[in-house]
Amino acid sequence: MARERHFEPTSAFLPDLINGWVQVLTRPGQNEYLVQHARSNPLTSFLGVSTFGLLVSLYAATDGSPPFYAAQGSTPAVFLITFFLAAAGFYLSNFLLYLVLKISGGSGNYTSQSNLLSLVLVPFGSILLLVFFTGRVFGLEWGDAFNPLSLSGLVGALVFLLAAYALYQVVQCLKIVHQVRAVSAVYALLALAGAGALLRAALMFVNQEDTLITRLWTFFVQQWNSGIMPRAILGHFWLVLFSIVVAVLVGIVFGVLITLPAHRPRAANLVLLIPFVLFFILWAATSGWFGPDAAAQIDSTTRSWERILRNTGGFFGELLVILGAVVRKPAAIGMIGMGWTAIFYLLYLFGDRASALTLYIAGIILTIPSIALFGVLIPPLGVGAFNAAFALILYAQLPILRNTYTGIMEVEPEIVEAGRGMGMTELQLLLRVKLPLAAPVIMTGIRVSCVMLVGIAAIAAYIGAFTLGEYIFTGISRAQEVRYITGALIVAVFALAVDYLLGWVQERVTPLALKERHKKQKDTELFSE
Amino acid sequence: MIKFENVTKIYPGLAKPAVDSLSFTVPSGEICTLVGPSGCGKTTTLKMVNRLIEPTQGAIYVPNGNGDLVNVMEVNPIQLRRKIGYVIQQIGLFPHWTIFENIATVPRLLGWDNDRIRRRAEELLEMMNMSPEYMDRYPHELSGGQRQRIGVARALAVDPPIMLMDEPFGAIDPINRNLLQNEFLRLQKEMKKTVLFVTHDIDEAIKMSDRICIMNVGGRLEQYDTPAAILSNPANEFVENFVGADRALKQLNLIRVEEIMDTAPVLLQLDQPAAEAWALLRERELRSAFVVGPDGRLRGYVVRRELRDKTGTVGDYFTRADMGIEISTTLRDALSEMLAMDYNTVCIVDNHNRVQGMLSIEMIQKKIAESNVNGDDQENGA
Repeated sequence: MARERHFEPTSAFLPDLINGWVQVLTRPGQNEYLVQHARSNPLTSFLGVSTFGLLVSLYAATDGSPPFYAAQGSTPAVFLITFFLAAAGFYLSNFLLYLVLKISGGSGNYTSQSNLLSLVLVPFGSILLLVFFTGRVFGLEWGDAFNPLSLSGLVGALVFLLAAYALYQVVQCLKIVHQVRAVSAVYALLALAGAGALLRAALMFVNQEDTLITRLWTFFVQQWNSGIMPRAILGHFWLVLFSIVVAVLVGIVFGVLITLPAHRPRAANLVLLIPFVLFFILWAATSGWFGPDAAAQIDSTTRSWERILRNTGGFFGELLVILGAVVRKPAAIGMIGMGWTAIFYLLYLFGDRASALTLYIAGIILTIPSIALFGVLIPPLGVGAFNAAFALILYAQLPILRNTYTGIMEVEPEIVEAGRGMGMTELQLLLRVKLPLAAPVIMTGIRVSCVMLVGIAAIAAYIGAFTLGEYIFTGISRAQEVRYITGALIVAVFALAVDYLLGWVQERVTPLALKERHKKQKDTELFSE
Repeated sequence: MIKFENVTKIYPGLAKPAVDSLSFTVPSGEICTLVGPSGCGKTTTLKMVNRLIEPTQGAIYVPNGNGDLVNVMEVNPIQLRRKIGYVIQQIGLFPHWTIFENIATVPRLLGWDNDRIRRRAEELLEMMNMSPEYMDRYPHELSGGQRQRIGVARALAVDPPIMLMDEPFGAIDPINRNLLQNEFLRLQKEMKKTVLFVTHDIDEAIKMSDRICIMNVGGRLEQYDTPAAILSNPANEFVENFVGADRALKQLNLIRVEEIMDTAPVLLQLDQPAAEAWALLRERELRSAFVVGPDGRLRGYVVRRELRDKTGTVGDYFTRADMGIEISTTLRDALSEMLAMDYNTVCIVDNHNRVQGMLSIEMIQKKIAESNVNGDDQENGA
């Protein structure tokens, strides 16, 4: 009760304000002071912001180069304009923050939010201004503000720490007045910052400034119109899609095989080796045993198809390049096919006894640096899309294989036994029980692989696959900043999009029951209360 | 009918058999319980019937579609399993399927059409006292007891003649377990399935079974007989220890009060003259008697000396009391209630509270004494 009387803004404003600062600085978060203050008069926030405006104006008037206001004029004019700009800027940005918080489900009101934010802003803003001001006075260069060996670096670090602490305070304040989770408060701040950045970027284009962002955009538009950028994007897209589709098929089959019990070799099983024989014939027929003409024939035919289809194909053109590259290497296809069918047959025979070794080998493959693997594959597979696709498929194997294996092994044995005991065949058990229950885990593996492939496909440009990596490598070698940043940005956006899309798919394939079970784990907060 | 003939199971790499030349026959329509300490091979025995585990030696016979006995090893295991109901310990409902889909598992494998499956599922839910709205729920939305009911319903879906139940009520709290046991017994009265039931709990075995098969570690059959015979006449020391020192009390579980009650007790009517009632009781040397209304329902009791030299009717002097015990109660529960309420004599009623008979502590003692004469005499010490 006594405390409430103490906070009446009309009776003792200044001591109250100072007391508020001290409280905010020393007891962040859960203290009663903030909660009580959140209910107080809007006048408090106005007075707080005015104090801040006063400080900014003083700084602007004495230094001559105010942070928000660059107009020249008489000292009183600069003083007044800066004062109002500071206050208006506060209320405007505060309003935006309020809108963002309302949209994200906060429950508080604008007045109390202004009130609390002013209490944070005034002390932190004043300290920041002071640091800047003293920095100016001592003639420090801000260019190397983060060089820890220089004095300005130390000051810069101080500013950085202060800003981080201020941000933390703001999050705490928002949590209190709006009763939102800490995560929403952080997102609200990020959204506001993002909106500001977009606004600034838009201004760059309106004013036709020459900045990195405008140069990137111009470069992108130019590349897009020339048709090179769409080709690189499609090349990247089809390469990743082709590799992941093959990797998923092979990875899931292998992953399933190593969960099954071993099979005794029987004459009937030899049917499984028919593909092996077919691949052997393909290899033998096209690697010179029956004369070199066959290979040359296929090569020239696919090349002429490719040319025709590339000219008319458009969207599928780059897919045809990849398929063409694959078809053009029949001997290599025969060899790889033989290898994979042999592995398939061995895994079928040994089943779960081979699981440890298989996962081990897939793990080793993943540790090979991609550049090295591409290099190693050049002698047998040549350069270009085929080599790239083969390496990508190898890389994508492990996460899919391992997650298929663990996903199936983690299905409760009682459930599997119930299915078996009710008369499901092993195939029915796999398709109706094991795979649906393992689907979310398998999907995670596919998601991880796919995002990884988007990155590695960029590196494949090094061995002549036409992907977005082309922009990165030529950009680096020609020291063209816009070129490699554009390439890297598009690859990053591509990876994020893939991750988001597959995350959505994963949500769809997760059985309801499993979602319920994992709900609690999902609800963990970024910040603890 | 399930017939075991010298069935032995030796797991690869182990010297001792898990099940050692087991021979017994479960008659059609009876519940047979396999019971024993852990490691006695009871679950192995059960799983050999539907070939989840295959016997090393010997043969198990089950009836085929025509009712002829066939060796399970000569039947396709997939076809065999679809015709045998299977309920397991952790229930094993498929978490990604609704209750309907779970019940539909075997019908779908057998290619029933959807309408028929739905009708059957509704029927089964009704049998399990669950409303049809559960059909579209998922297992995680149900309580443990409800899930267990669905587990049983799923096993009954195609009305198989044989049911295998592997500790079906093991993971359920005692109150619900009791309820589910009673429900299953009620269903079994109509269904008359041949049930092989695994449990480690001798009380459950005594309650559920028509026959008990007591097994020892190493898969040896120690005794195969009706619960009453096992309790009154254990074959050896192992069975005696396993059944427990309180087997005399356990025997009371097997007897319903209707079997030993006095079916023609002396009853007084409410409107009977007091003098006449007193004379009757004195003639029969009874100190008290139960009083019934005109509808035959139990109203209370009256003590003889209260009636001495009195005019009026019995209705003026009796003590109102509701001491009826239901006719289907086990003797053990009846005794427990009598001890708790400190009555020497209780009235036995049907479910409409109409008097059916009378039971006294002396009658229970006499019954126990009789079964001990049949059994050996070691019981006196215990």
